[in-house]
Amino acid sequence: MTFGLTWLLTLLLIAFPYPSFLSLALPHFGYLFVTWWGLMRNHQLSMTLLLVSSLPVDVLYGTALGLHGLIFASIAYALTLLGPSIRQVNWLRQSTVIFVVLMIASAVSYWVRTLTGQAPEFHILVFQAFSSALFWSPLCWLYDLLAQFTQDSEAQR
Amino acid sequence: MRPLFSETSAAAVRLVVAVTFSVTTIFIDSRFNALTLVRQTIKTGLWPVEQLSFLPGRLLSEVIQWSQSQNLILQRLESIGLENQRLKTEQLKLHTLRAENAELRRLLGVKERVNERLLQAQIERLSNDPFIHRVTINRGLLAGVMMGQPVISADGLVGQVVVTYPNAADVLMMTDATHHLPVQVMRTRERAIAVGVGRMDRIELRNLPDTVDIVPGDILETSGLGARFQPGIPVAEVKEVIRAPGQPFAWVVAEPLAPLARLSLVMVDLSKGE
Repeated sequence: MTFGLTWLLTLLLIAFPYPSFLSLALPHFGYLFVTWWGLMRNHQLSMTLLLVSSLPVDVLYGTALGLHGLIFASIAYALTLLGPSIRQVNWLRQSTVIFVVLMIASAVSYWVRTLTGQAPEFHILVFQAFSSALFWSPLCWLYDLLAQFTQDSEAQR
Repeated sequence: MRPLFSETSAAAVRLVVAVTFSVTTIFIDSRFNALTLVRQTIKTGLWPVEQLSFLPGRLLSEVIQWSQSQNLILQRLESIGLENQRLKTEQLKLHTLRAENAELRRLLGVKERVNERLLQAQIERLSNDPFIHRVTINRGLLAGVMMGQPVISADGLVGQVVVTYPNAADVLMMTDATHHLPVQVMRTRERAIAVGVGRMDRIELRNLPDTVDIVPGDILETSGLGARFQPGIPVAEVKEVIRAPGQPFAWVVAEPLAPLARLSLVMVDLSKGE
């Protein structure tokens, strides 16, 4: 239930028609979704579910199918290892670690995009990782709220 | 001595499996285009989500429309009426020119171009990925849109349809880094291939002979080679011709005529692909 709701929210945030001048400043909501699951709920995270849920993200962004699966798996793995040590620190430190992890994910993305014939510019990927790290705190709060809501409704039942 | 693989965790194994699956999927999708059906199915499933995401924007535009004063609307109606009259006059001239063109073509023995069927479509969303210049339009298979059909605007070429869904289609813009387009210079009929570079305001003609007759201000149009686009659709205006000393090739930078970043209405040429 929590996975479905957070995933739906992520898809809505990705599908929203933002003005084109914002495209460089937009965070990657898909990365933040995996970050939340990898950091906060890694014991509930299934790799198969993650791969399946990455396919609509590929379709919405128009990238090759599997690109986001690869990046999601890398982020989830990295954060599963790092999770216990950074879950308790303040939001600034969390955002810094997330920025580093997303930079590694961006490097993977850059490599795959170059292989598939696109012309990515690395500084834009860096900027995207940076804005994603900045958005981490509010989005984490939103996901926490959704998780709390689903837990409460399940408890009432 | 510690064995090398003794600490291999289940998470690492899962990562390896996921990476293998992803890389295989990327390879199949990008090299063989074999996953179109999967893409179509997912996109169809995403239709409610997309409609829901458009809701705030639509509500906002409704509120803006509602708040516009009646006077402003009347003024706009008046100017639209005048514009309509002007276009009608232009259309009359166009009919005459078409007839004249057909006659000249008949005299020259050139086959007449027929079947210009244009379908109006609205751009629903632009890919939020900064490196992918793709838009989704609100017409799809049910309206007769097919893969490969050219998409144009009032100012010039936009791109071509690359994926079709029942009620939508993805259009790859000519500025996407994976798009190549056969063009010719309107003034000299010099042919070249225009490639996208991943910037909305730029396409390039690469590896042209150093002596090529192109100057800034020249208009590029489709050449019709490759049989995907009709010849003569305006594409871009040449902004810069780079001739590096000692290099055998010239490099041309052009700006698309259609305002790709600000487009909302486009036309799909249904006659192609029929």
